[in-house]
Amino acid sequence: MSVRSLLGLAIGNLVVLGVGCCLLWGARGLRSWAELARLSGLAYLIGVATLGVVLSVELVAGVPFGVATIMVPCLVVALAGLVLGRLLGRPRPRLHGGDPRGIGFVAASYGALLVVYVEALFRASRLAPLSNYDGWAFWVPKAEAIYFLGGLDEQFFGQLPNPTYPPLVPALEAAAFHAMGSADVVTLHVQFWCFLTGFVAAVGGLLAPRVHAALLWPVLLFVLVAPRVVARSLEPQADFLLDYFFVLAALLVGLWLLDRRAWQLGVASLFLGGAMVTKREGALLAVCVMVAALVASWRTRRFAWPRIVLAGGCALALAAPWRIWFSSRGLTGEFPTSGFLGLFEHLDRPWPALQSVAKTMLDYELWLLVLPLAGLAIALALVSGARLLPVYATLVYGLSVAGFVWVLWSFTEIPLPFAQDEGVNPIVRLCGSLVLLSAGLVPLLLDAAWRGGDRGDRQG
Amino acid sequence: MGASDHLFAWLRSALGHIDPRTDRPQGFVRFGVAAYVALVVALGLIYFAKAVDRLGGEASRNVAAKYDDREFGGGNSLGVDKEALTEARARIPEHAAYRLLVGHDAADLLNYVRYFLMPRRPDPDATWVLCYRCDGAVLGNGIHVVWANDAGITLGRLSG
Repeated sequence: MSVRSLLGLAIGNLVVLGVGCCLLWGARGLRSWAELARLSGLAYLIGVATLGVVLSVELVAGVPFGVATIMVPCLVVALAGLVLGRLLGRPRPRLHGGDPRGIGFVAASYGALLVVYVEALFRASRLAPLSNYDGWAFWVPKAEAIYFLGGLDEQFFGQLPNPTYPPLVPALEAAAFHAMGSADVVTLHVQFWCFLTGFVAAVGGLLAPRVHAALLWPVLLFVLVAPRVVARSLEPQADFLLDYFFVLAALLVGLWLLDRRAWQLGVASLFLGGAMVTKREGALLAVCVMVAALVASWRTRRFAWPRIVLAGGCALALAAPWRIWFSSRGLTGEFPTSGFLGLFEHLDRPWPALQSVAKTMLDYELWLLVLPLAGLAIALALVSGARLLPVYATLVYGLSVAGFVWVLWSFTEIPLPFAQDEGVNPIVRLCGSLVLLSAGLVPLLLDAAWRGGDRGDRQG
Repeated sequence: MGASDHLFAWLRSALGHIDPRTDRPQGFVRFGVAAYVALVVALGLIYFAKAVDRLGGEASRNVAAKYDDREFGGGNSLGVDKEALTEARARIPEHAAYRLLVGHDAADLLNYVRYFLMPRRPDPDATWVLCYRCDGAVLGNGIHVVWANDAGITLGRLSG
């Protein structure tokens, strides 16, 4: 709750941004400092995902958690990004060379609205008490355990609810505690504000050169002002960070289908790995993105499939250490109680499960009209003659919905029809990923509809 | 050509792009995209105002909250005994373990106390005992009461 905490958090996040910038330069190259500024949100979340995965691996390996074990990986990863850049012959960013068109009226106006919005979020988060149930019941205690006890304490983690939930968010929270100098659970909300702000900047920065401002910024703002996003995005738990990783991964895979630039798939793989180490449903969402990419690239399968499979394999490898750790310690609760085939003994469940998912997705009080409008954007893109993007988007949304129905169907301890309070309702959390996905895919779909077809390679 | 003529020409050109009567189906699609964006802009601005208003109210409430309310967070809605937990936090050393004894159906309380007393760790064999409206008989005679209140909460240490 002090200025020292805020200052420490700011410095910690600048370090993460620096790490992400080095990685982005190595993987993609940056023509100018203006381009780096445009992609700073993406760079920041690359840093968050990388640091989160590395810290999770450190925890699993039993490395004592402290300032040194946070800073050394930061330095190593940043250096690795710079070495990669040198090896790939990336030129240094130039001082000049930004977009000569500058920022248009629409982008400037919406930029101002977004600044007002994130500023209002900051003020709300700055002194927010930790009231969220999952936050104090297990996410923050896990982080405090890592911070105070210096690692994953098997006995303590075993006592907490959901002990198999991955450690990326608790690890990042523990790192934030180190940056703040104390386990300040009030100022911790500001860390989640940084994630949200980074996500907004990442989506905007990725799409700004490809999509007309009038199609990008209004959609982005529309998603951000959905009541559930306003109310819950800063709670210190993993749902929204999972969504950010998933959305950026799905968006980058979509861009890769259009542009075929290696860095897009590489960074998407990192985000998918990050999603899997953030929450267990990250694996489900990652499978949806991968399968959607495989089907959408059917015509170019000789070129695309090996690369997509490699990206999926790399993401899986990032998540493997945590799975090995909790499996070897006999921690359970990860998979459906009925087993993978036991769900066929509960054939009365799929229809009410589908009804529950559909009802949640179309709930105006939670998400406004974001998901119906995403469906309309797909339809417009299809009618205009575009194929690749609308097929990919349909598959990501469709497979995810099928996955959510599977969750409700197979976890037989969940009563159906599902009518739990939205604050603790897992289906509401799952549907949130598709709502945020619309912030990335809908502008691309509308752009394809306006232009009358898929069109690749415009910077990104 | 005056400024108004320029504006009129620009508007005519812009509207020409979204005329559903021309260039089917592209004119129709563009008209759909324009209508779509108009809806998103309108709804977005309405809910933007509501969001900023709501967040402003939340910020004011958070600023006005007492230190205790902020510190206890979710404990406020659980109705935990703040004085008792503050005493427990003050008296049990940071690196000590404690035994938490609660009544029936108190899983939420158990989770909350575990969170609130960190880095003190719950341990069924610990010498520090926090009896939170538990059955007093389980404490036995071997406990040295360090603090207690009328609400049935006792903090003590087991001898040996």
